[in-house]
Amino acid sequence: MTDIPTSGQASMPQGGQTPGMGPSEPDKAGRVMLVLRRFAPWLASIGRLTRHQVRFTLLLIGAGWGTLRESLRPNSWRRPVIYEFRATLRQVVGGGFLSIVVTATLTGLMVVSQAAYWLGYAGMAQMTGSILVSVLVREISPILVGIILMGRSGMLCLTEIGMLVLGGEVRGLQARGIDPFLALVMPRTFAFTVGGFTLGMIFSVVSLLMGFMVAHASGAITSSVWTFFFNVLGAMTTWDYLIIPLKFVLVGFFVGLGACISGLTVSSNDTMASIMPRGFARGIMLVLVVNILFMLDF
Amino acid sequence: MTANAPLLELRDVVPTFEESGLMPAPYNLRIMPGECVVIDCRDENRAAVFADLCTGMISLSQGSIRFMGLDWTTLRDRQLNALRGRIGRISRSGSWLNLFGTHLNIMLPHLYHTNDPLDNVVEHATELGRRFGFPGLPITAPDRLSAADQARAACVRAFLGRPDLLVLEDISDVLPEENVLPFFEMMTAARDRGCGVLWFVRSAVAWREYRKAVNLHMRLLDEGLFPMRVM
Repeated sequence: MTDIPTSGQASMPQGGQTPGMGPSEPDKAGRVMLVLRRFAPWLASIGRLTRHQVRFTLLLIGAGWGTLRESLRPNSWRRPVIYEFRATLRQVVGGGFLSIVVTATLTGLMVVSQAAYWLGYAGMAQMTGSILVSVLVREISPILVGIILMGRSGMLCLTEIGMLVLGGEVRGLQARGIDPFLALVMPRTFAFTVGGFTLGMIFSVVSLLMGFMVAHASGAITSSVWTFFFNVLGAMTTWDYLIIPLKFVLVGFFVGLGACISGLTVSSNDTMASIMPRGFARGIMLVLVVNILFMLDF
Repeated sequence: MTANAPLLELRDVVPTFEESGLMPAPYNLRIMPGECVVIDCRDENRAAVFADLCTGMISLSQGSIRFMGLDWTTLRDRQLNALRGRIGRISRSGSWLNLFGTHLNIMLPHLYHTNDPLDNVVEHATELGRRFGFPGLPITAPDRLSAADQARAACVRAFLGRPDLLVLEDISDVLPEENVLPFFEMMTAARDRGCGVLWFVRSAVAWREYRKAVNLHMRLLDEGLFPMRVM
């Protein structure tokens, strides 16, 4: 039997040196490799952790872009997709309406009447409109609408889609050539978007109206309801006309998208006990992030 | 798709074991238009996985699967879905969405993949429903139907919309006796217009009465897919 040099041995000159390298360089390279090999598991675990932590954010960005892009294609809006959009919109607006009215009433009672009373007491009654717009309509309403939207409809959506994934029905849809993203995620996200805007507007009007009624009854406000709403509208800047609806729209969009994506990405190890808290935490985070981003920029 | 080309062709296909759990052996299968291939498989999960494999839902480590002349692996999502829309499928599990009524579940693939007027789809589905013993289309949620009614609804859905390939998992244990003949009739009618049939059975009893019309009999075992003699 003859000894056949391996390719490594054949290409390597005598003494283990590569051409053009000093005698100490192979040692240095070997030492670097040794250090890297020692730290490789640590680096891998840091990478794994980072990837795990940002996974949902990346998914959300990708799915958000995908939803917008797909929605612009006319053949994305097929009959079952439109049916799903309508059914979800009915559920979002119909299911959240009463909660929104009750919460808006309570908020109106607290915020509007208190603002009117204390601003009048301080002799700053003329600022009532601008204070209400900036505090109630622009800051509080999107957060409360987002939370109600998530609690009433987002969690339901998350559970439904999650159970469909765990039960194999989503795979069954794929087997029939029905894209779950088109059939479930896109219409539901847009239904939440429209629903968020609708409920946000209802919330704003009801809270202001209820606050006015209480403040008027207690004598804190003496003007008519028309004057009150005129003052509120007059206190709104051009940006407010853009930002307030945009906040409602974006809160709805991200609550819907987050719920759908959380549902669609459940694993076989997940149960209701793990899906629900995770979805809730993500939903709250999204509502706050949307509002905080607007707060930073405007 | 060219004339006389196979409708479905698996050529030395080795599915990824991690995804499918199928034995990583080369699978070969060819179905011509109008042919009926019966695959005997006692394990219904394995049959479902193999059905998924034939419909391009499992990644391959080797070989190719062509349906209507198109390789599943070379198609993009929209093309994949459109092509899967040409397949009528009966699944034993995970095939009903309880979010909708059974009537919508039945018509969902057809409404999704085609622009046929709703009235025509409803009419066709109702007619099929009557053939399988329904008075019309069941509108209750699928989980409220009995196993027999679910099996009948599965047949209506699979045969709705002139599919090019039927992938049928074995529902002979839940399909009522009086619906077996309409099932065979519908299968024969579909084959007469060029539809291929891939029929998974768990026992010889399921296809005994249709035996003479079967073109190929195979057995799906742990070790792979083996041709059998049609007796």
